[in-house]
Amino acid sequence: MTRPTRVLRLIGVGVRTHVSYMSRSPIEITFAVLVPLVYATLAVYLFRAAGDPDRLLTASVGAGLMGIWGSVLFGSGGAVQNQRWLGTLETLVVAPTPLALVLLPITLATAVIGTYAMGATVLWGVLLFDVPLDFAHPLLFLVAVPVCVLALGMMGLLLAATFVLLRNANALANPLDTPVWLLSGLLVPVTVLPAWTHPISWALPTTWGARAVHAAASGGDVVPPLLTALALGAGYALAAVLVLGRVERRARAAATLALA
Amino acid sequence: MFRFRCRFLGFRFHASSRLLVVGGAISYRALFNWTTPPMFIGTLLVGPLLQVFFFVFLGRELGVADDRFHLVGNAVLAASASCVYGGTMAVANERRYGTLGAVLLSPRHRLPLWAGRALPYVLNGLFVSAFVLTTAALVLGLPVPAGALPGLGLVLLAAAGACSAFGLALGALGLRFRDVFLVSNVASSVLLLLTGAAVPRETLPEWMRVAGGLLPLTHAADAARGLTAGAGLDGHLLGAELAVGAGWGLLAVVLLAVFERGSRRRATLDVM
Repeated sequence: MTRPTRVLRLIGVGVRTHVSYMSRSPIEITFAVLVPLVYATLAVYLFRAAGDPDRLLTASVGAGLMGIWGSVLFGSGGAVQNQRWLGTLETLVVAPTPLALVLLPITLATAVIGTYAMGATVLWGVLLFDVPLDFAHPLLFLVAVPVCVLALGMMGLLLAATFVLLRNANALANPLDTPVWLLSGLLVPVTVLPAWTHPISWALPTTWGARAVHAAASGGDVVPPLLTALALGAGYALAAVLVLGRVERRARAAATLALA
Repeated sequence: MFRFRCRFLGFRFHASSRLLVVGGAISYRALFNWTTPPMFIGTLLVGPLLQVFFFVFLGRELGVADDRFHLVGNAVLAASASCVYGGTMAVANERRYGTLGAVLLSPRHRLPLWAGRALPYVLNGLFVSAFVLTTAALVLGLPVPAGALPGLGLVLLAAAGACSAFGLALGALGLRFRDVFLVSNVASSVLLLLTGAAVPRETLPEWMRVAGGLLPLTHAADAARGLTAGAGLDGHLLGAELAVGAGWGLLAVVLLAVFERGSRRRATLDVM
C-alpha cells in the first residue's frame, strides 16, 4: 500500500470510528440536534417577525451551520481533552503515525456529526414552519455542505492543536462560539459588522464555507467561495501540523503532556 | 420555658444560617476546585458578552427590536450560564465525585442545605449579569440611567435567584438520571427562546408565551428593559419573577426530597 493510500485509509477508518463513537453519545446528539433546533426556531421567528418570509430557508440553513461550528469547536477542544482524560493521549503521541493525522479524523468526525444539525434544522423548518425547500442550486448544495464540513474539520485541527497546550480547553472554546457565528455571517451578513472586523471574517474558512452554502440555498456564486474555504482550510491544517510538531516536542521535553 | 424556647429557636436559626452560608461556600469551593480564572472569565463573562453583540447585530439586520431590547434581555439571560449549570452541578457533581452519600447522611434540614448550595450561584449570576450589562452598554453606547441602578440591582438579584432555583430543580433530576447535563444544556437553550431575551415574546405563539411566563428571567428581562428605558420599576413584573423563583425553589425541594427517598430505597444514591 502506498503512503497516500495508507494516509487516506487511516483518515477514513478514523472518521468512521469517531463518528460511530460520537453518534452513541447522548450529549453529542443533544448538541448536534436539539440545541440547533432551538436556534433554528429562534431564527425562523425572528425572520418572520422581520417580515422576511423569503429568507426562512436562509434562517434554517444558517442555524444548521451554527450547529456544525458548535460541534467542531467543542469536539475539537474535547478531542485532546478526552484523550487526556482517557489516558490515551500519550499512546497516540508515541505512535509512529504523526499526531496531526491521528487528530484530523477526530476533528473531521466532529464536523460530520455537525451535519446532523443541518439535516435537523432544514427538516424542522420544512415540517413545522412550512419553509419551502426551493434551493437555488440543489446539487451544488449537496456538494457545498460536505466541502464546508471538510474545511471546518481542518480548521478544527488547528483548534485541537492549540488546545493541546491548554489544561482546560473549554476556557477558550466557550467564548469562541458566538464570535465565529457573527464574524462568519452564518445568520447575519458580515456587512452589518464594523469595517475593522472584515479582514478577520475573510481569514476564516467558516465565512467562505457559509457563503457557499447560503449561495447554494438562496442564489449566487457557489464555487469560488467553496474553493476559498478549502484553500483556507488547507492553510489552517498546515499551520496545525507545524503547531502540533512544536507542541509535541515541547511537551515531550518537559514531560507535561498529561498535565499540560 | 419561653426563654428556653427562644434560645433554642435562636440556636436553630444560627445553625441553619451557618449551614446556608458556610456550607454553601465550602460546597462551591469544593465543586469548583477545577476552575481557573481563565475558565471563569472565558465562560461566564466573555461568552455571554459576545452573545449580546451577536443578537444586537442580528437585531439591527432584521429590525425586529432595538439595541436596548437585545442588550438588556441577553444581559439578564447571562445569569443563566452560572445559575442553571451551577444549580445542576451543585447536586450532580456531589454524585459524580462520590460525596453525595456523605452529604445526605447529615441529619440537618434539607432546605438550608440545598438553598446554601444555590446561594453562591445567585451571587455569581448577579455579578455576571451586572458585568455583561455594564460592559455591553459602555461598548454599544447605550447609557443606563443612574436612577435605575437600585431597581436594576433588585431585578437582577431576583432573576439570578429564580434561575438558581430552576437550576437546582434540574439538578434534583441528577439524583434520578445519569446524564443530567443533557437536560441542563437543553434547558439553557430553551431559556434563550422562551424568555424573550432574544426574540420579542409577542411574536411567539400563545403556548410559548405561556411557557415563557413560567420560566425564570422572563419577567425580570421585561422589568430590566423598562428600568433602562427610564420607566421605573414595575412591581408586578418583579413580583412575578419572585413568584416564579419561589415556585421553582419549592419544586426543587420537593424533587430533591422525593428522589432522595427513592435513591435510598433502591440503594442507587451513588450509582452512576
